[in-house]
Amino acid sequence: MVYPGSNCDRDVYHALKYVGVDVNYVGLDDSLDGCDLVVLPGGFSYGDYLRPGAVAAREKISHEVRRAADRGKLILGICNGFQILIEMGLLPGALLRNSSGRFVSKWVRLIVEDVDTPFTRNFKSREVIKLPVAHGYGRYFKTDSAIRVVFKYMDDVNGSDDMIAAVTTEDGRILGMMPHPERAYEKLLGGEDGLKLFTSVVEYLRRNAS
Amino acid sequence: MSKYRFAIDVQFKSSVRDPRGETIERVLRTEKGLPIYHLRLGKSIHLEVEAENEVEATRIVHQACEDLLVNPVVEEYEVRTL
Amino acid sequence: MRYLNILKGKLGRDPDFVELHAFAVMWSEHCGYSHTAGYIRRLPKQGHHGNAGVVDLDGDFGLVFKVESHNHPSAVEPYNGAATGVGGIIRDVLAMGARPSAILDSLHMNSVIGGIIEGIADYGNSIGVPTVGGELRLSELYQHNPLVNVMAVGVAPHGNILPSKASKPGQVMVVFGGATGRDGIHGASFASEDLTGDKASKLSIQVGDPFAEKMLIEAFLRMNEEGLIDGAQDLGAGGVLSATVELVARGGLGAVVHLERLPLRESNMKPWEILISESQERMAVVTTKDRAERIIEIAKDHLLTAAVVAEVKADPTYRVFYGDKKIMEVPVQLLANAPEEPVSDYVPKDMPDFRKVDFKVVDAHTVFEQYDYMVGTDTVIPPGLGPAVMRVKGDGGYSLLTHSRADLAVQDSYWGTFIAVLESVRKTLSVGAKPLAVTNCVNYGDPDADPTDLAAMMKALEDACRFANIPVASGNASLYNTYGGRAIPPTLVIGMVGRADPKKIVRPKPSNVYAIGWPDFDVERERRLWEVIEYLSAKGAFVLAASSLVNVTHVKALRRLGLKLNVDVPRTEPAHQMVIVFADSVKTDVPVEKIGVLKWM
Repeated sequence: MVYPGSNCDRDVYHALKYVGVDVNYVGLDDSLDGCDLVVLPGGFSYGDYLRPGAVAAREKISHEVRRAADRGKLILGICNGFQILIEMGLLPGALLRNSSGRFVSKWVRLIVEDVDTPFTRNFKSREVIKLPVAHGYGRYFKTDSAIRVVFKYMDDVNGSDDMIAAVTTEDGRILGMMPHPERAYEKLLGGEDGLKLFTSVVEYLRRNAS
Repeated sequence: MSKYRFAIDVQFKSSVRDPRGETIERVLRTEKGLPIYHLRLGKSIHLEVEAENEVEATRIVHQACEDLLVNPVVEEYEVRTL
Repeated sequence: MRYLNILKGKLGRDPDFVELHAFAVMWSEHCGYSHTAGYIRRLPKQGHHGNAGVVDLDGDFGLVFKVESHNHPSAVEPYNGAATGVGGIIRDVLAMGARPSAILDSLHMNSVIGGIIEGIADYGNSIGVPTVGGELRLSELYQHNPLVNVMAVGVAPHGNILPSKASKPGQVMVVFGGATGRDGIHGASFASEDLTGDKASKLSIQVGDPFAEKMLIEAFLRMNEEGLIDGAQDLGAGGVLSATVELVARGGLGAVVHLERLPLRESNMKPWEILISESQERMAVVTTKDRAERIIEIAKDHLLTAAVVAEVKADPTYRVFYGDKKIMEVPVQLLANAPEEPVSDYVPKDMPDFRKVDFKVVDAHTVFEQYDYMVGTDTVIPPGLGPAVMRVKGDGGYSLLTHSRADLAVQDSYWGTFIAVLESVRKTLSVGAKPLAVTNCVNYGDPDADPTDLAAMMKALEDACRFANIPVASGNASLYNTYGGRAIPPTLVIGMVGRADPKKIVRPKPSNVYAIGWPDFDVERERRLWEVIEYLSAKGAFVLAASSLVNVTHVKALRRLGLKLNVDVPRTEPAHQMVIVFADSVKTDVPVEKIGVLKWM
């Protein structure tokens, strides 16, 4: 999905192409028919003005995203994408300003908490991986005690409750994460732990092709 | 039709920790020696509504808050006429 | 107004109100380069001379790059001054037809001014261009005059690169982007003055809208893809006036401007205000009448305003109208060519014995971890360990750096500047890259009170570039950085780009650590040092070519990679020819000393 202000759309496109997926950019007026996976990329949709993701979540295209979710399509929200999914109410909780008050851009260590989602099958339970983060509003605020946590930070990065870095829905088909797997698909970039996320979801889709 | 001006005071709910507010409060107390407590940083939005009357204008402001301006998961708000 | 008498002479009469404002802007130092134009002509140059410089990267792609300053605004309003500085340089690169791919910042201040860092971070992060490096130099010599120099780089296939001029009568100029308000009126003249007194007022500060800039970038690239653009220039200092004048001046043409067509966001703006407003996030595009419609459509699709604002004419006169009323009519070339100050021929003296001028040491991670340096997934070497290296997907890569030696230049502006250029070459070679070209920003005090050091700096830049056989492709000058008459050290910031091979990048790993070279400086040895760096890097050694040899930022960057550095850093003169090499063994005829080891933590 490309919202006005999305920045990481081209990065996600390259990562998906790298694992051999058929990818299309979707704009505000397009349809999501015929796709199996919708990715909401990182960036500053609508400049993050008012609250990150607030305006993008209320665009007409959100109806399409909701319909895709209802029809069981997989949805991945990365960074700003995660913020948009939360503002849409498709994932619980809130994403607030980092407790340091500052933007943080660095590689962090994460623990893989849940390997039963279509996105994380290729990881091992409790595996420690490294992914980059780059955000000013990544502090996860828990509102629901019963949530599925998929990744946790090993060290405090932004003051998130329970060190939560990524959450998913009960059925595991909508994943929201603050770290950027699309920036870690090639060793040249500093690490390739993100690759497993993309291969997991591609293999899942191939196995369950409708 | 008349123009009505409002100020919306948006604050995080008390259940949400506010590290920026805490830090600023600490600076005022320890470095400036001022007896200031419970400092919370929120958002102030000023706007003008075109409506037939004040009741209608107020309704519109509340609608804007519910539709976009306020995140009901973690924020609450107060509307004042200017 | 400076040069008022010259203007009177050229017009043959007193200038009227609008002319006074227009020439105050166009003939300001910031727009007119009066004190530096003569020196700039002497530099060994190559590449387009439009908004930014262009060099060929590898036959298919060109590298577009430039460094620009936003010193005066940042002194008065750090956040917005720095943010709009980023915005301006991004548009300069964009106007050449390239997607901006990287930003570097060179900051000189007394202590870390949070507002400046936040301003650069918020703007750069928001538009999705990675800030991949820079330099942070803290000294009380910059207490009242912080220097904020921002370098931007973009990559474009040669066919996409645009000229910065109008080329034919009959073309039209479309201005699109954010709406026009009263921001920064007389910002250009403000940027050319001493900061004490009430001139330093917040009224002249432009406020940035990075969301509008991001939309501008996407819209412009789309327009270029569709072949709608014949030439372009961003609107910066001097607004519509400066952009339209420069576009037609470069083509030897004239223009008729219709100010009432510009979309405004403030009411009751007078025509002269519309003409020189420095509202941000706007671009001027030269095209033909039949393609203007589509340009306007694309702008609107991107939530931006747009209008055909001027026509290009053969007659080289600049005519400005507001509706039917003619506001101004003067020769284009008169506006475009500010009077030039005489240049002097500086004769270099022998290099002095430099004393150590201490700039405060700070771990730069606290600054660059606020910058997203990874967006775009092209950053191969992140900040902290020397020059940045970026890849061009599918096709090679480039190195980029900013560097200066004000600590030396404050003692001898010729040698300090000369050495800064040489050290930039060492750094470029240290990442296995071949230097391609240089951009530069002259940050100086008062050229009227002290013309000699300016002449010295410019001569050093010229001499060093000839010595290294590297052309200057673009540049910027910021003069009158004074406070109460006290000037900053002559600070020439070098931006250097090189051709790099991302696949041959050497990353630090456990090894022995050597100090190679000499603890002092002799220009006769410099080329030998370059050969050694090139050779060792090609053999797989990781090389650090920093003026401080090894500093706290390096140590932390290595720690982040899980490596612990254990070394005795040798003492050197402030000007030296020593580099630190990480390898298991080193074979060379240049002085070598093992100084320690690098191990896993």
